[in-house]
Amino acid sequence: MNKTNIIKGISAKFIDKINEKPILRLTLIGLGILWMIMIPRLGASSFFIRVLTMIGLYTILALSLNLITGYTGQVSIGQAGFCAIGAYTSALLNVNFGLNYFITSLCGALMAGLFGFLLGLPTLRLSGPYLTIATLGFGEIVRMIALNFDKLTNGPLGISGIQRPLIFGFQLTALNGGFYYLVWALVILITLFLYAIVRSKMGRALMAIRDDELVATLMGIKTTRYKVAAFSISAVIAGIGGSFYAHMIRYIDPNTFNFDISILIISIVILGGMGTIRGMFVGAALLISFPEILRFASAYRFVIYGLILVIMIRFRPQGLFGGQSSAKYVLPKGVKVGAKDGIA
Amino acid sequence: MVFQQIFDGLTLGMVYALIAVGYSLVFGILRLINFSHGSVYAFGAHIALVVVVSMQWGVIWGLCISIIVTGLLGVAIDKLSLEPLRKKGSKPISALITTIGVSYIIQNLLMILLGSQSKWFPKLFDYGRLHIFGRIGISYTQLGIFLVSVILLLFLTVVIQRTKIGLAMRAVEQNPKAAHLMGIDVNRVVSFTFFLGGASAAIAGTLISGYYQVVYFNMGFIAGLKAFSAAVLGGIGVLYGSVIGGLVVGLSESFAASYLGGGYRDAIAFLILIIVLILKPNGLFGKKAVEKV
Amino acid sequence: MKKVLAFLLVVVLCLGLLAGCGAQEDEPAGTIKIAVAGPLTGDFAEYGTGFKNAVELMAEQWNANGGVLGMNIEVVPFDDKNSGEEAASIAERIAGDADILAVVGHFASGVSMAASPTYQEAGIIEISPSASHPDYSKAGDYIFRNNTVIHIEAKEALDLATKVAGAKKIAVMSVKTDWGTSTAAIVKDLLEGYEGVELVAHEEIIDGTVDFSPTVTAFRKAEPDAIVVVGMYNVLAPFATQYKAVDPEVDLIGFSNAYSQELINLGKGFVEGVYLPAIFFHGSEDEDIKTFVDSYVEKYKVVPSSLTAQAYDSMGIILTAIETAESTDKEVIKDTIYTLDYPGVTGDTHFDEQGDAQKTFTWIQVQDGTFVQIPK
Repeated sequence: MNKTNIIKGISAKFIDKINEKPILRLTLIGLGILWMIMIPRLGASSFFIRVLTMIGLYTILALSLNLITGYTGQVSIGQAGFCAIGAYTSALLNVNFGLNYFITSLCGALMAGLFGFLLGLPTLRLSGPYLTIATLGFGEIVRMIALNFDKLTNGPLGISGIQRPLIFGFQLTALNGGFYYLVWALVILITLFLYAIVRSKMGRALMAIRDDELVATLMGIKTTRYKVAAFSISAVIAGIGGSFYAHMIRYIDPNTFNFDISILIISIVILGGMGTIRGMFVGAALLISFPEILRFASAYRFVIYGLILVIMIRFRPQGLFGGQSSAKYVLPKGVKVGAKDGIA
Repeated sequence: MVFQQIFDGLTLGMVYALIAVGYSLVFGILRLINFSHGSVYAFGAHIALVVVVSMQWGVIWGLCISIIVTGLLGVAIDKLSLEPLRKKGSKPISALITTIGVSYIIQNLLMILLGSQSKWFPKLFDYGRLHIFGRIGISYTQLGIFLVSVILLLFLTVVIQRTKIGLAMRAVEQNPKAAHLMGIDVNRVVSFTFFLGGASAAIAGTLISGYYQVVYFNMGFIAGLKAFSAAVLGGIGVLYGSVIGGLVVGLSESFAASYLGGGYRDAIAFLILIIVLILKPNGLFGKKAVEKV
Repeated sequence: MKKVLAFLLVVVLCLGLLAGCGAQEDEPAGTIKIAVAGPLTGDFAEYGTGFKNAVELMAEQWNANGGVLGMNIEVVPFDDKNSGEEAASIAERIAGDADILAVVGHFASGVSMAASPTYQEAGIIEISPSASHPDYSKAGDYIFRNNTVIHIEAKEALDLATKVAGAKKIAVMSVKTDWGTSTAAIVKDLLEGYEGVELVAHEEIIDGTVDFSPTVTAFRKAEPDAIVVVGMYNVLAPFATQYKAVDPEVDLIGFSNAYSQELINLGKGFVEGVYLPAIFFHGSEDEDIKTFVDSYVEKYKVVPSSLTAQAYDSMGIILTAIETAESTDKEVIKDTIYTLDYPGVTGDTHFDEQGDAQKTFTWIQVQDGTFVQIPK
């Protein structure tokens, strides 16, 4: 009893301190980033760097899903479809026209976003479970088109020989840690972007939609517009992930982005905590690393992903980090605080 | 040849209808999309496989044991993972995600425990082929599937419409709270529904394995999704709708395979699903659910 | 609760990151490590397991004779789960382990190709016993393919169809995978060179299909004498079952990767008479092959398939190259492999400049529920 209390006590003090002073929080994050930058320099094995790279990639994918699922409350199990669109667009542009990663990635992301928009529009009338099934159908249809539309996608032969990204003529390879830095740079950018959205009017609108769509509509929020926007942005981010994968592994085929990937992404989101950004990092870290660390469990990993879905929903649907945030709620500018003698 | 394609499509359709009935049953009573149904179907087929092939006890025993064991699996899924959610009053989407998780667990456990290779299953109703109009070949197995589907459908309809437990099921579907107040043990009714769903999955699994003569661990995934499309098309919750929906999906698939090529075959079912969801989510025969504010 | 989590998390992550910069295990001096990579779990687990078994058997046999260059051989297995991502990750791990000289793997072409760039870059020899994508071996000079070359095998299959089965009208059914699509294209191409023989139909199916009714109906209309099935046993067996039910007289020709006991287990009487070109025949009278088959059956209780035998030979090639080169320098070994003429259980193997192996074929037919060699 005593020991648990001590740990609780220390944790509470530590976290409270950090929440109170943004400076401390920023310093901690800054140190963390510095540490991450140093890792390849300190002689970590290429395998370890690779695991961290994959964690970064899945963090991006989890962040993308989190936007529509965690913040907007629309569960999608077709994210792999958007990754595939981003990946194929990038790959085709690179292999056929020799365009560099940064251009192909942009195009891939936009293309994915376009499909997010196209998928979002008609399916928005659907409620909860039906929408989810529709996203599942979308993911599978993308895969089947990739498999059958030979003239465009090369069918089952896939696209090989995708070139590595070039920055000012400098090739990024796995050996020089290039992919590691690239993916984590992307993670940071996307996180900042999502942070901005969440704190903005859009973010509040999305959360209102999640909490009670009917009430949100009655409050005058243009729910359709926001939902489609969330879908599109989520797709764009997933597309970025897909493009990155294509340029890193340098070979993609229709089976690369299948339903298993969508399930993995949603497991990460649910484990980490829907609606929390930090949960995505933790979820990705846990679910990507455990098959590497616990080799005996890796045969069972899909069973474990399934178990996570079942157990988390049952016992802790808000995920590890979900639920009430302990940070102080920051009122938007221009909102006046009520008088002290308590209006309800 | 067109007639043969039509008949192939109808047989395929009956296969999906057999599976779709399970989805409809559970949705009809609980308003829950039971995504795990596909994997339960695969499970049922594997139980039958073990009894018939490994233990050599014959098809009748295989079917009976599979019905009981798979039915119990259905009940277990409900009791362990879904009932607690109902008690908590969770959103429907939680139940859906849970059933997705369950389907993953069952399917992958099947693979780990029983192996990933395809396994042989004996042919059921192996009495040869009939020839209609001289050119269309129908095997007795196909007739068998057709017959069993219809019998199953009739049986389930009788149970729901004419028996006391069926009455209880309909009451729970309309209003669980009121049913409870009237003295109905809602949880027992739900368990019974899941048992029926599992049993129908077992029947489907055994029959279909006896037709294609192959059993493999992920047989429930694609077939389950297509059957789900069939159920949605027909109006999920309406039993005879599943049969009609199944036939439509089967026919579409048969023609798609013939005219668009084998690659697009699976896509047809998904296309139908999305179109139905967008245009008429209640399907052909479904009832409109009134959402009270 | 959340605060405890967050705090513990920070602590654990710090420790985890520290641990990652950790040390490699030290190997006892005098051990050579060869990796074997393939799907040990998942849909294709049977093939990956076959690779692992074969490689371990070969290593055991060499170790019993004193190892290679006096050193003990250690086999390091990796499960790539038939995923390109996993394979690339495994390639990184292998590249990071200085003791691993070569890898026998992977299984699927796409998966192998996701890993090859890493192997090539790190100078690790990769011999795939099963990759069939035409581009696979182009990844570099460290990348080898110990599998049949599609062109040659397709010709053998067509020879079987026309010369042995005597077919004039041939239909082709292919799976929509990289191997299936490439092979079907080559088959159709080569078919034009056969006098008096015509292609009457070509249907593509998704791998894993069990319902072949549309294909059966389409083929029935075309009335082929023989059907060339470009698919593995999981497709050939059910297809044979369904097609023979409507036309018991048709001749079926498969490919060497369908040559496995599972074909007969799954197809029973319906695969009777199926023809297969093979580079490995488990019932061969050849002493070396007999010894291999017997020891494999004794250890693993199943008859080795063609792909398993190809993995066995791949390992043999690596070990022989090390011995011949009298060196553990990967580059030297790699150069030696190109010079070898290895007499294996899958025939005499020699690699061309691209890293593809030239193989000679035997012809097999299923008779009375077993595989029998038929004269060419």
